[in-house]
Amino acid sequence: MIPLNDRIDYLPFNNRPKIKWPNDARVAFWVIPNVEHYEYMPAAGTGRQKVAHGNPVFPDPDIAVNVRRDYGSRVGFWRMLKVMDRYNIRCTVNINLAVLEHFPEEREAMVQRNWDFCCHGKYNTRAEPKGLTVDEQRAFVADSIAFVKRTTGKQLKGFNVLSRATEQLPDILAEQGIIYHADYFHDDQPTPIRVRKGKLVSIPYGAEINDSVMTQRNRPWEADTFYEMAKDAFDRLYEEGADNGMVLCLPLHPWCSGYPYRIKYLERILDYVMSHSYVWQTTADDIADYYIGNYFDQVVNHMAELRKSQHQRSNSARR
Amino acid sequence: MKFNYGMDQKYWDWSPIVKRPPLQWPDGARLAVCLLVDLGHYEWQPPESAFDPPTHTPPHSQNPYPDYVTVTFREYGHRVGIFRMMDVFDKYKVSATVPMDAHTAQHYRILVEECQKREWEIIGHGITQRQAISSLMSEAEERRYIAHSIDALTAATGNAPLGWLGPEHSQSTRTPAILAEMGLRYCCDLPNDEQPYRINTPTGELYALPCMIEIGDTMGHYNRKLPLKRWVQMVKETFDVMYEDAEESGLLLAFRLHPWCVGQPYRAKYLDEIIAHMAGRPDVWIASGSQIVDWYAKQPHASFKLRPSAGR
Repeated sequence: MIPLNDRIDYLPFNNRPKIKWPNDARVAFWVIPNVEHYEYMPAAGTGRQKVAHGNPVFPDPDIAVNVRRDYGSRVGFWRMLKVMDRYNIRCTVNINLAVLEHFPEEREAMVQRNWDFCCHGKYNTRAEPKGLTVDEQRAFVADSIAFVKRTTGKQLKGFNVLSRATEQLPDILAEQGIIYHADYFHDDQPTPIRVRKGKLVSIPYGAEINDSVMTQRNRPWEADTFYEMAKDAFDRLYEEGADNGMVLCLPLHPWCSGYPYRIKYLERILDYVMSHSYVWQTTADDIADYYIGNYFDQVVNHMAELRKSQHQRSNSARR
Repeated sequence: MKFNYGMDQKYWDWSPIVKRPPLQWPDGARLAVCLLVDLGHYEWQPPESAFDPPTHTPPHSQNPYPDYVTVTFREYGHRVGIFRMMDVFDKYKVSATVPMDAHTAQHYRILVEECQKREWEIIGHGITQRQAISSLMSEAEERRYIAHSIDALTAATGNAPLGWLGPEHSQSTRTPAILAEMGLRYCCDLPNDEQPYRINTPTGELYALPCMIEIGDTMGHYNRKLPLKRWVQMVKETFDVMYEDAEESGLLLAFRLHPWCVGQPYRAKYLDEIIAHMAGRPDVWIASGSQIVDWYAKQPHASFKLRPSAGR
């Protein structure tokens, strides 16, 4: 197995190969609603630590943590959808797979809009793939691909399982034709992830520019601040992207941004970003395809060179 | 990999808001508003067997027994804060729905009278705020708990309560069924919608009056430490957006206020600002939980069932 430390080589921002996005875009902008379901009674032993964001945790059924999220599918998703349609945003959905069959109306709305899907586990209350054997993880990835194909007609190309990823997962993903992994927060550009076979690219996800942050007890800010953060980040990336193409990811949650008092700030973010000429509003699938087609090998070679010269420098320092 | 259609529990059906028939409120109102003013008692020490919910956020920290700080800070609501809130509600001629726990009903008769004088509806709110329902209870314990809460209110008010909001929204998998069986008509625990809906129970007729949990004074401001004015803005924005969105189909805005929190002198004027904002708008129906449920139960919306769409 490839050691965790070797999965991503150090790739300093200065002097790295420059990215040119299609049509001279400076920023590749991808919007990723996390369309999730939290089980009413998570089965014993499926063991994910509860995603309470600092809110107190109750014995299941946890109404204030898990049932609260149910608001997203019933109400919030549909309010967000109107906004996405207004700005003609093609989303990459971070999908809890179970949603695709539990809630077919949601699935149809997403499929009709030709949104892409990124696998976000079966339920947000499950720990897998963490805790699975390597063979089980393989089956999990294969089943996920087949399931998305069967329910949406789409070829699954990406995974985002965040705290649920395993050491082996990148190899297993690449083996089965997954091309991107969106669990990394280490860069503003796509970067290669070292795998045993095939090509796997990291597509930057948003840790702090993420609407769910606003529901955390220790983050006392609201959607106006979220808007400012997204806008400021965009301005900076747009400026830098004139020289070297950047990525802005906007992770959203229907139970969060679909809330009435947050929706207009989401609208403002989209309005602001989409009012710029050199924006490539796209999906993670398309960013990954483009990157692999144009930059992947070049960057891998660049990193190899860096490693070599780093090695030489430390050798000569030792002498 | 295969998943069933719909929810993973039996109490409520899968129902995306855009697929439901339009909901009408009385006199063409767009928005029904239910103001929940909690009168919950924070006791010195709950019985050892009780589930003391982990949400309490005293001014500084939760302190070891005896916790003078938290107990007295909460007691402030029953002594001072509630009367300040009543002044504001009286000023705008709006009424509240009051989740009241058994301890308050038994030991604060003056508060019961003041609520009744204003025709505020009193609903079940458990035994005390440090004893919540949870799946750690046996069924017999849970039945005793709910019966005790109901009996205390019945004895204090002369009427059996029709509504329920458990301490911290907490439930076991049995709770909705027991509530319905014991004659309750509606429950505000489930924070998952902007319209009421029918809860499926083996006996009785129970409706959900979902709370907008994130804009409550404790959840939205006090616990999150969100600045007071930002919270006020957020409540007004919720109202404004829902008012707008309710053009085609009526919505319900139910949210919680606590006398120990918003009844503080430095918060009272903001409560005034919020109530003024809502009460001053035409086509807004500020009503009690029972009024809303009585109306709702007769609407086609209440019996609507979504037909499963054909799978792929």
